Amino acid sequence: MEIPYIVNPRKDTGLINSKIAIWLFLASEVMLFGGFFSAYVYLRMGADYPWPERTLPVLPGLINTFILIGSSVTVVFAWVALKLGNWRQFQVYMAITVACAAIFMVLKSIEYNVKFHHQAARLNDYTVVEGHLGYEKDSEGEYSLDRHGKKIEENMIRVVAEKLTFSVKRFHAPWVNEMLSEAKRNGSEIKLAEDIKAITEEGGKEEPLAKAGDPLSLELLEKIKQTQIEALEHNAALRTDALRLEWKEAKEANPGKRGWQLASDVNIDMEALKPRLLTEVSSVEFTVDPPTLLLFKPRDIKESPTSSRLRDDTVITGAMGASPMVFHNLDAIDFQWLVMKEKEKGISPEAAIAGSWLMKNSEFVREAWAWHLARNEKRQAELTKDYGFKEDGKTPKRTLTHKELYRLGWKDLGEMGVEKQQVKIGGFDKIKEEFKGPNYEARGEKTFPHISIPREEIRHAAKFTPAWNTYYAIYFTITGLHGLHVIGGALVLLYYLVFGRKMFLSNPEWFANRVEVGGLFWHFVDLVWIFAFPIFYLM
Amino acid sequence: MADSIEAIQKAKKTYLLVFGALLVGTILTVLVATVPALDIGGHGFDIYDAILGLIIATTKSTLVAAIFMHLNHEKKLIYYVFFGAIFFFFAMGALFALSESSPIWDYNFYK
Repeated sequence: MEIPYIVNPRKDTGLINSKIAIWLFLASEVMLFGGFFSAYVYLRMGADYPWPERTLPVLPGLINTFILIGSSVTVVFAWVALKLGNWRQFQVYMAITVACAAIFMVLKSIEYNVKFHHQAARLNDYTVVEGHLGYEKDSEGEYSLDRHGKKIEENMIRVVAEKLTFSVKRFHAPWVNEMLSEAKRNGSEIKLAEDIKAITEEGGKEEPLAKAGDPLSLELLEKIKQTQIEALEHNAALRTDALRLEWKEAKEANPGKRGWQLASDVNIDMEALKPRLLTEVSSVEFTVDPPTLLLFKPRDIKESPTSSRLRDDTVITGAMGASPMVFHNLDAIDFQWLVMKEKEKGISPEAAIAGSWLMKNSEFVREAWAWHLARNEKRQAELTKDYGFKEDGKTPKRTLTHKELYRLGWKDLGEMGVEKQQVKIGGFDKIKEEFKGPNYEARGEKTFPHISIPREEIRHAAKFTPAWNTYYAIYFTITGLHGLHVIGGALVLLYYLVFGRKMFLSNPEWFANRVEVGGLFWHFVDLVWIFAFPIFYLM
Repeated sequence: MADSIEAIQKAKKTYLLVFGALLVGTILTVLVATVPALDIGGHGFDIYDAILGLIIATTKSTLVAAIFMHLNHEKKLIYYVFFGAIFFFFAMGALFALSESSPIWDYNFYK
């Protein structure tokens, strides 16, 4: 089939069809990104927490901007080369464009990776602590590994399990296996608490499914699950049939009446149905003898002092052990939100910070804060010296921001380390920090110390992902969507580069038009980044 | 669009000039956000910095759209499509803004 108007323009529009198509597509893209940028504005305006302004590393963002701008030029030069009939030059420019896309994505993935491994915790008093978690070690000092072979972060919920109640339909097999192996390692046995008897055939007698004292196994749970599913299906079918019959009888007894007039009188006679029903076993209880310590990731458990619940609805009865979140390296102390909250109650920032859990419990934080206050005094004095006072002669024209006043970020802690502990790091390590954040190895524990936070002090904790706050939610949405556009655009351009030769030789005009259309999309990707960069990195 | 060889060669120079302008614009955006002496308005980020940053970004994007995407000499239909989308983007923003301010006027609110 011949596609019309791909080389010569249509007379009525004056354009080739593919160009109209790409512009219509770009129009829809304007609306798509426009919607997300609007969402950003409203999330920021409506945020009930201190918006993390200027929090992303500027250097990688800046380099990525240069890269995208550069690739916009090379893609247009590639098109020019085709117009001039120079295939070799086209190849060079297009290869540079695709390489730029690859570098962009590498830098982006480094940025994302740092966020995915950086921990934040909001304490009950709204102090925010940031840093890097340590890893669990076994009694021999070796790192403990989970079932995927990955190191386990020192952020586990410990429960001394006495009883385990599994949801028969929802239990998660890998977790059951983990509990079994953990119990075995600790010399405990997990046994069925009571006999399970069930009617498994209509009109049949109750038969034992499992006996008290049977050890926990996946086979046993699967067997009970199967019985349960069959019972549910059987009982539901019986109830439906009974209800259908009730309706039929009600309609026959009340001709002319509408359904809604009869509905309140149509009920299933459950007593009559009872002898035909099969037994539904929705949960099974096991005892752990002797009680054993089980560890769970916070995302998998809703913990409480005496009885906790896993995501698969397994209830663990037993006391919760000490389950602190252990920051191997603390790299930021943030009182911004605490101050905001306490101000609403009429409490001064100084009193609020002094009364915070962190100030009461960490010598390092007290020292760091004292250093921070002294430095802020100097900074404010410099601002006043440079910009003077307002007309009243008392109020300085420029004052420190909320963030400068109440947050000690990793760069501040680094500065303190240099000043107080003489911790100095090399130029390469410093550059690395610009991309990957705080360099714990180079600066060491004196700058980024250990801190252990009791679980009951934590209000909310997450990595720097959309789960942390709406800023990261919209940041990942927009930059992630933009990243997908970069990948998609680069693949199209790569296709032209690798497979375009044949078309270039047979129909150079058509090929040039194709590249122009691909280039238009690429420019749009650049255009979105032109806005995304200042909005996320500089504002 | 530049179709003759001379016109294309001339356009290449324009593309390089725009590239330079975009680099300068980007550096300027970073400088006004990071160098205290260039910080307009109050100390730190505020509405003035946001306006200035967005003005620079809009200028840069206008250059990309006008020169690289050839919007400076396109057919009418493309203008309708593209500027139609821009119009609807602002219309959407206006609708959001309207939803923020309550459309039901409460006579007692300011009493």
